[in-house]
Amino acid sequence: MKETVITYDQVFKTYKADIRIKKKALTGLHFQVQKGEVFGVVGPNGAGKSTALKILMGFVRADKGNIDLNGQSPTNPASHKFVGFLPENPCLYEHLTIIDHLKFCARVNGYSSQESVQKIQNLIDLVDLSHSATIPIRRFSKGMTQRAALACALFHEPEILILDEPMSGLDPLGRQLVIEIIREYNKKGHTILFCSHILTDVERMCDRIGIMCNGKLASIIKPEELAQNVYSQTTNGEKKTPLESFFLKTVEEQSL
Amino acid sequence: MNNIFAVISITFKEGLRQRILYGVIISALFVMFFAVLFSGWFMRDISKIILDFCLSAVSVGGLLIPFFLAVNLLSKDIERKTIYAILAKPISRTQYILGKFGGLIALAAVVMSILSASSLVSVWIGKLLYGARFFTDFSLLAFTQAVLMSWLSVAVLIALVVVWCCVTTSAFLATLLTLFTYIIGQTIDDVVRFLSVDTVGVEISATVEKTVQVVKYIFPNLAVFDLKLQAAHNVILPFGEFTTIGMYGVCYCIVALSLAVLIFQKRDLA
Repeated sequence: MKETVITYDQVFKTYKADIRIKKKALTGLHFQVQKGEVFGVVGPNGAGKSTALKILMGFVRADKGNIDLNGQSPTNPASHKFVGFLPENPCLYEHLTIIDHLKFCARVNGYSSQESVQKIQNLIDLVDLSHSATIPIRRFSKGMTQRAALACALFHEPEILILDEPMSGLDPLGRQLVIEIIREYNKKGHTILFCSHILTDVERMCDRIGIMCNGKLASIIKPEELAQNVYSQTTNGEKKTPLESFFLKTVEEQSL
Repeated sequence: MNNIFAVISITFKEGLRQRILYGVIISALFVMFFAVLFSGWFMRDISKIILDFCLSAVSVGGLLIPFFLAVNLLSKDIERKTIYAILAKPISRTQYILGKFGGLIALAAVVMSILSASSLVSVWIGKLLYGARFFTDFSLLAFTQAVLMSWLSVAVLIALVVVWCCVTTSAFLATLLTLFTYIIGQTIDDVVRFLSVDTVGVEISATVEKTVQVVKYIFPNLAVFDLKLQAAHNVILPFGEFTTIGMYGVCYCIVALSLAVLIFQKRDLA
């Protein structure tokens, strides 16, 4: 049996949207991610996907429930030694270059300046930003910033990679590059948890897919199970992929 | 400590790359030129005018950091979620706060050092232009004391900016609160002195007196760090008094930063 590296155990979170209005973001989120797997979370807007990841990173505190990140509490900064995080719409220091950011990562992770030089160059090449290495981030396009942030997340070769909408803002070439990086990273035995709206990417990359709705995981399915069951359907003459059909069916059921 | 220095370094670099140094160097040249020019109009007080003008410029240069750069670098970090790039690493929120504070006071030190150096150049030019006899009493120690205290008052203000940025979610509100803090800090001493004097025909309610007493203990007395007048008259502050003011500033920073850490630990960075 595989080791569990991420556990959400009946996690609840309510935000104050206004002084009087409260919004339930998570309503008993419960699932586990095994070591070495790629777990994708999909869900409609406002389902609580990003909140779930922010809680896992300790940026937001859960009201109730337990979260375990590689045997540690996410609020313990030491747990981040094993984790790389790419936020949705990553925002880096706009007057600094990608090299400055990677140097910061090196320093925080205890690399010597000699060790980090080659590593920084390799990562810049990996995310295809060698031509823009000395340009400040404010001159980057959204896709370039996304790739720069991914390089920062990968710097210390974390055991667990947490990605929030990693493909948003990327052109098809950039998307393909990121997919390849994630796949290669997973081949080395690292665990990947990510949220995405792009169902085709999720279907292509994940070992298991969780459908999130109304703050909890409504269903978990494997891509091969999707292929076995005939979820493909046609609505208004438009052919849907198995995951799209399964997703829509699950969300509809949850909305009832 | 390594993590704190890493945050100090990235804050310092980000601040410098915002081209503040260009502005500071232009201001320094401006100060040098006008200090020498204006002082020529007051032939009896050349030394005093030059020092007063230059030390005011050093203070204003330093104040730009908490008012513009600190709020920009801290509040926007939280608003735009740049903070995720830092806290996703094994860095605690306490280390983040201390690192940001360290980076900002280092920036203030650089800015104020450049302006202080330009002030000394002004004094030197003044000596050459108007004659050394006008500067016989000039005390480098009194000048240094005034600059150090000015830097400490900026550090206190930066510590309060950190508190305000932890309390509010808006950069505008943080700037406004910092401005109020500065005004209160500069005037509270005078207000307390005014209330302590019995003026015929002026009645002050007990509520006002109590409020002023509370404000006096909560907000820093920034006027106490202002040694411009002493420096302009070449008066060296006794070591004991200088150390006491210094300790007051350091203690205030520690209390303010502890409060900021307490608030920030509980804050959701959604």
